[in-house]
Amino acid sequence: MAPRTVAPFGPQHPVLPEPIQLKITYENEKVVDVVPALGYGHRGIEKACELNEYPKNIHLVERICGICSCIHGISYCETVERLWPLEVPPRAKYLRVIYSEMSRLHSHLLWLGLLCDALGFESMFMQFWRIREKVLDILEATSGHRVTQSISVVGGVRRDIDAEQEKTCIKVLQEVKKEAESLINVLASDPTVKARTVGKGVLTKEQAILLGINGPHLRASGVKEDSRMLGAQAYSELGFEPIVETAGDCYARALVRAREALQSIELQLEAFSKMPEGEIFERPKGRPPANEVTYRAEQPRGECFYYAKGNGTQHLERFRVRTPTFANIPSLLVMLPGCELADVPVIVLSIDPCISCTER
Amino acid sequence: MIENLKEITKDTLLQEVQKFADAKARFVTTVCSDLGDKLEVTYYFNYSPGVDMSAMRMVVDKNEEVPSISGIYLAAVLVENEMFEQYGLKVKGMAIDFGGLMLLAKDSPVLPMVKDKAAGGKGGE
Amino acid sequence: MPVMLPTVLRNLFGGPATRMYPVQVREPFAGARGQIEFNDDKCILCGNCEKRCPAAAIEINKDKNELVFYPARCIVCFVCAEACNKEAIIEVDKWRTPYYTKPVEVHTAKAKKDKAKENKVE
Repeated sequence: MAPRTVAPFGPQHPVLPEPIQLKITYENEKVVDVVPALGYGHRGIEKACELNEYPKNIHLVERICGICSCIHGISYCETVERLWPLEVPPRAKYLRVIYSEMSRLHSHLLWLGLLCDALGFESMFMQFWRIREKVLDILEATSGHRVTQSISVVGGVRRDIDAEQEKTCIKVLQEVKKEAESLINVLASDPTVKARTVGKGVLTKEQAILLGINGPHLRASGVKEDSRMLGAQAYSELGFEPIVETAGDCYARALVRAREALQSIELQLEAFSKMPEGEIFERPKGRPPANEVTYRAEQPRGECFYYAKGNGTQHLERFRVRTPTFANIPSLLVMLPGCELADVPVIVLSIDPCISCTER
Repeated sequence: MIENLKEITKDTLLQEVQKFADAKARFVTTVCSDLGDKLEVTYYFNYSPGVDMSAMRMVVDKNEEVPSISGIYLAAVLVENEMFEQYGLKVKGMAIDFGGLMLLAKDSPVLPMVKDKAAGGKGGE
Repeated sequence: MPVMLPTVLRNLFGGPATRMYPVQVREPFAGARGQIEFNDDKCILCGNCEKRCPAAAIEINKDKNELVFYPARCIVCFVCAEACNKEAIIEVDKWRTPYYTKPVEVHTAKAKKDKAKENKVE
């Protein structure tokens, strides 16, 4: 038997934007065991949500994570609205879809760039981030901020997109679509990219379901499941159909995210064309009643589960967020043993880890 | 209102979870909340592919031991560790035991999510 | 690499995607959330902003007739500006420049004071 070595992967590693440690035991070049160590980014946001008044929590949950910020804010409002339950004006529903899809688009472009970076494809990394910048610019022009959009409030949204901004958004989105298509074409046909990703970190459909993984990671294993199918907000009116790949390896996950980025542009353009005129905000009556609800939203990284329990006061009795990466990390314990040490960064990146989401 | 909610006890927990595993359901998460002198634990499952969730709820005393479901669903290991260190729910036989140091550190507040405990930290800036 | 050729050619003959930052600064978008400023002449110390602020960046001392603002705590959400009935909080689209020490701004509410004076004269 060859001697075994334990190496720490992280908390600081070029492919990890956020700190998580994986203690990797390897034998020659083969990984045999993985133990995750978390806790570098825990801030106790769930406890803080119980201590704060419920309208102030919107700004707190938006800071759970930088990239998923917008959808966390929107979903918190959706969850709290379900306590009454409260109906949001139709235009606000469409605006929420547009902002969710915009943040999904920039998150997927960011991930595709990071994948290229992990593979050593530096120039492609720059290209993806260059077109991502255009999406961030329209986000800033419409909502007021690049990252923490703070667009949603309980009862609607805070800012409307006027006709002129709508025209700019559509123009930019069509540009982004053209450029992203050509870049994704390069990425999907490149022999080096294929050599590094095809057949790495394979999860079958049965394994994927039993491990409880979600999001693009689950859909790459051939399970047609997406929280947007629940039809919350305006998704039921947009003819949404989830994207599924069957191979279950890193290449399939990259393809799912690439196609989702393009699909999200289509969804936005459709939402812009169908968006009704009207009010964008309706003031909620009274305080959140004593009730408990669950809500699931599709984050760029997967299905995010929210639970809220009201008690008739300005404070929530309990608020829980189960973020997508929290459920995806156990899949690393199955995917990594047996792989080559050099493939570890790509496989870890393929679940799109978001650690500050995980630890809240 | 939570749909498809079923009340169970800690003795029947493993049997019930095994039923979900046999039916190829996907484990979503558990939610623990503090009821004062008792803890309420709710397990959420989802049949894949599908959109409806099922839930099982049990109420246990604060010093009662609960069996771990991580033998059936490995994915439950992180959330069970979290319940142990945030609420003090004693989970027996977890697949990976972080010993209360998963999210918290040695000098962190003890059981921060329990209602009568202060949040700790300085607050503000 | 023929698939990437159009991108390569475009980058070869196109200009850089970045700008010379400290020399060239892009104008902020209209409505961008940059910072907040207070109009002391309009403030009546009603306390709406203090109540709504999620970051506890505004403190009101009614007996001293003062509004204390901590810019380092402010998360620029503009909730205070939306809550203000007297338009005493102004939304500014330019960002605050970095600072070495955390500033504390003390504003004296003039609208309130004038009223108090008038009452005395009467």
